Amino acid sequence: MSLSEQVRDGIAREMAKYPKKRGALLPALHLAQAELGHISVETAKELAEVFEIRPIDVMEVVSFYNMFYDRPQGRHHVYVCTNLPCSLRGARTLMRGIEARLGIEAGETTADGRITLGHEECLGACAYAPMLRVGGTYHEDLDLEKAMQILDGLE
Amino acid sequence: MPNVSIDGVEYEVAEGRTILQAIDDLGLLMNGVDIPHYCWHPKLSIDGSCRLCQVEVEGFPKLQIACNTPVKDGMVVRTQTESVQRAREGVMELLLVNHPLDCPICDQAGECKLQDYAFEYGLSHARTEEPRRALKKRYDIGPTILLDQERCILCRRCVRFCREVPETSELAVFARGDRSTIDVHPGVELDNDYSMNVADICPVGALTTKDFRFKVRVWFLDDVPGVCTGCSNGCNIHLGVASNKVYRYVPRRNDEVNETWICDEGRLSYKAIGAPDRLDASELRHADGRVETVRRDQAITLAAAKLRSLIATQGAGALAGIASAHATNEDLFTFRRLLDALGIESRACPVPTGRSDALLIKAEKAANAAGARALGFGDPAPVLDRLRGGGLEGAIVLGHDLLGPLGPDVSRLGSLDTVILIDTHHSELERVADVVFPARHAAEKLGTLTNHAGRVQRVQPALEPPFEAYAEGEILTRLGEALALPGFEADWDPRAVSKRMAQEVRAFAGCDVDSVGDSGKPMPGGSA
Ligand code: SF4
Ligand code: SF4
Ligand code: FES
Ligand code: FES
Repeated sequence: MSLSEQVRDGIAREMAKYPKKRGALLPALHLAQAELGHISVETAKELAEVFEIRPIDVMEVVSFYNMFYDRPQGRHHVYVCTNLPCSLRGARTLMRGIEARLGIEAGETTADGRITLGHEECLGACAYAPMLRVGGTYHEDLDLEKAMQILDGLE
Repeated sequence: MPNVSIDGVEYEVAEGRTILQAIDDLGLLMNGVDIPHYCWHPKLSIDGSCRLCQVEVEGFPKLQIACNTPVKDGMVVRTQTESVQRAREGVMELLLVNHPLDCPICDQAGECKLQDYAFEYGLSHARTEEPRRALKKRYDIGPTILLDQERCILCRRCVRFCREVPETSELAVFARGDRSTIDVHPGVELDNDYSMNVADICPVGALTTKDFRFKVRVWFLDDVPGVCTGCSNGCNIHLGVASNKVYRYVPRRNDEVNETWICDEGRLSYKAIGAPDRLDASELRHADGRVETVRRDQAITLAAAKLRSLIATQGAGALAGIASAHATNEDLFTFRRLLDALGIESRACPVPTGRSDALLIKAEKAANAAGARALGFGDPAPVLDRLRGGGLEGAIVLGHDLLGPLGPDVSRLGSLDTVILIDTHHSELERVADVVFPARHAAEKLGTLTNHAGRVQRVQPALEPPFEAYAEGEILTRLGEALALPGFEADWDPRAVSKRMAQEVRAFAGCDVDSVGDSGKPMPGGSA
């Protein structure tokens, strides 16, 4: 899959806003990911050509931000907060339980492409710890059973 | 220029430098003023990421990083206070939280800044019990280097090096925070002409060269200052020597020549010293082609007799002197005196050539081409023409670099009446020579080499060859003696020869082996 004309035009428009081309790398990554779902090594190569940098410079940024993905993602993103307050309330046990039930580890996607599981830093819901988010929706005051009910309901 | 007080001593420093740079400029860094540092490197951009270099600066409420705090007139810096020590301890503790502590099986041990600083500034025990990060070890990232991600302290020197020096950018930091790792891009290897420098600048055992790994513990090595002979740049190096064997070359800082770098090819050129094809004895070739190994003095007598009779019958004009750009100035000065004394006018120095770049690598693939030219050994074309076209009956040849330009015509040499060869390695040339003498490598003798820019630099014996081998100058001196030439009676003393050369040859005035010191000196007239 390569970048569409639309995405390329979008990137050109973003670039015009910055004194240095490279400033537009983040918006460009958002545009590319919105279209392709993730930033593959091939996409990084294309973007690098557009920005006149090296593919490794693109992947460095992709790997830095956890809203960018370097591999295909599941239909739902499930992020369990494992920051300190949540961890004090059992978030790590929760995470391990979810991993065991889904048969994957954090960072991986279920074989049916349904769920990608991940860690998250504090989401500002510590008072209702432990918690997870599915996309933009928060689920709070969890235990493993409650969490699994939510996950089982995902298409 | 700003005046700065460092630990109570006033110094005048250059404008626009940071505290650490200013201390390095003064030659005091870790040499009077101890500021431990990981990420800062004198020849790379400033990163300010390791936080180990913190110092007290009067007027600032908190400690400042010395590597990125500009000096100001009247600044008062303290590098050894209680709060500085505590900060160092804290930084070291954090750096060690995830360190695997596998020093016993780590090849960096003994020259590891993590060991050194932990010993100097660290705590003696760990306060964490959590498992340490498990990452890739013995990770093959290219033809020359292995990466151990667990040992990495993320100083990013290697990343900046690849970006800024060879400008190849093979390495980067992936992910962030406590998940950061150094890695290459999928499918792209760390592979450039200078790749092995990353192992030198990596302060820990995260990047090691495949070549040197586990060959010898570094505390057994003596570092002998010398010069790389791979090309005419003459990069300054330390030869790592143990038990009379060279195990590696590492760069030695010389801001006039190679900053703190050497190329990979030059680095690996140490292998030529202990190579199995070294010439290790004097040889005579009989008329029937049989080669006999003889004592040096017997070979000298025979070579002298051959030269004498050839000159008597054909005249000195029938001979040529072919120098080697691998020999020292002292060897070549002696050669010049011998040729002068014999009346041999025809002189040349073939210089092998190859690839060059804008950084260090020069096209002339020998260390002393400029020195040879300064001593009158120039373009080999006229001599080669005579060799091909006739009119030459004998030659004294140093080295085998003649083989390149001569190509298939090397057999022509075989039909000469007399060929005397002094060389370090076996070659095809040996088969056409009447007398062969084994020569010393630049790592095995005292002398000077002149680099492409006319800088005269010293080499000194880092080891004794485990067989009979002599400096070219020594063989030539003995030959002169055997020919009863005046001024060739004394024992070979490269230091005395060097002094004499500096007196007699204007290009070398003031540039004898002692005067040039460890970092070399430009020839008064510039490069030849
Ligand atoms: S591999 Fe070495 S040089 Fe590179 S960041 Fe890690 S510690 Fe620093
Ligand atoms: S650039 Fe030339 S002198 Fe320097 S290390 Fe390489 S081969 Fe040796
Ligand atoms: S720590 Fe989990 S929401 Fe704040
Ligand atoms: S040396 Fe100053 S922060 Fe690393």
